[in-house]
Amino acid sequence: MVNLNSDQAKQLSDNFYFLGRAIGDFRYYNWDRLTLDEKKKLSDIQNSVLRFGEDILAYSTTLIMDEVVDSLEKINTITTEINDTIKTLNNIQKGLNVAAAVLILGVAIMNRDTKGIGNSIKEVYETWKVPHS
Amino acid sequence: MKKYFIGKRSLIFLSYLFSFVGCVNLKTVGEFAGSSTVSIKNFEKIEYSFYQHCLDRCRDEAIRKYEIKRAEECACTLYQEADSVTQVIYYSMEGYFEGLGNLSQNELTDYSSDALMSALSSKELGPVRIEEQTVAAFSSLSNTLLRATTDFYRRKKLAAYIEEANEPMQVLLDKFKLIVGTNLKGELRFKRERLYAYYMDMKMNNALLSDYEKGKATSDYYQACDEIQRKEMVLEVFVKSLDEIAQGHQILYDNRNKLSVKTLKGILQGYSSNVKDLISEFNKLNN
Repeated sequence: MVNLNSDQAKQLSDNFYFLGRAIGDFRYYNWDRLTLDEKKKLSDIQNSVLRFGEDILAYSTTLIMDEVVDSLEKINTITTEINDTIKTLNNIQKGLNVAAAVLILGVAIMNRDTKGIGNSIKEVYETWKVPHS
Repeated sequence: MKKYFIGKRSLIFLSYLFSFVGCVNLKTVGEFAGSSTVSIKNFEKIEYSFYQHCLDRCRDEAIRKYEIKRAEECACTLYQEADSVTQVIYYSMEGYFEGLGNLSQNELTDYSSDALMSALSSKELGPVRIEEQTVAAFSSLSNTLLRATTDFYRRKKLAAYIEEANEPMQVLLDKFKLIVGTNLKGELRFKRERLYAYYMDMKMNNALLSDYEKGKATSDYYQACDEIQRKEMVLEVFVKSLDEIAQGHQILYDNRNKLSVKTLKGILQGYSSNVKDLISEFNKLNN
């Protein structure tokens, strides 16, 4: 369990920024296919994800993680993938699941729940890796 | 006897000459310290802080959710604590450069490290952790400043003052640059994204009917983006000036034992002049 250094905190904040943006883009690309409830849910999740990114910048070096380098690397990879391909995602349910998994990851990081962080990274990854339909 | 007088006069003349040369270059040190102080003090003119960002975010959220309450509820304690860390760094740097300026003119420094020490000792920083290296830098710099205010031979100690302060100053300047240029400026990017979502929702929901409303909303959106960009530029220019100050101070440190050498004047004046240009750029953007 180690404190993040300033560069790592910045990197993590960047990831939440891009994930927040990706959730917003997914919402707009699929606007006509989403129900009102789904739109609201995605909007709330997007706001929470952006908040995590902002909070990480403000608290900077107070955050902790297990195997920081490895965890951050995984979050980086998944963020890049989501960010690059969210536009082509047709499966609405998958989009909603990924957004919810990202939200849980953010909560775990902000709560300094190191075990939860590890599980959530895995959850985001597995949810994202479910084959597109 | 005549020989003795000539010898004495030459000696007086030489001392005068050396002290004059020394003065000229200490004046250069004073100028550099002066422009650095003005530039660092510009921090107080920046109309943005972590706390302000948090308040803005609460307002944006209330607008998004159309929440009307008798009083706005906003939990920003941790953001205020992030500001308090920044303030501590700011005060110590401002104090140092003011002290450096005074010492180079052989004036008394009135720097008091009490506020700095009490801030460092603790609770004021709350759960916001600062790295050990930074804490060590505070402590070292504050000791240097204390000695400078009490030392009778202050001017003679200028080189020692610069020598002791350089390492902690570089650490603090780095930290200050990171907080302002990366963290605080980084917050604005989130503000921009929230703004984008707000106006995009308005558009996607067909919330605006007339062409006038649509045009007004578009114009409002871009004006708000411009304002965010202006704030980002103010922070960028401020950080650039911290960069120049750090480099200038490093030159001072490298030449600390040759403060009267003429070449130092030319080099240091370059940094002073760059800092002054950045002060002027800052003021233009910040008005």
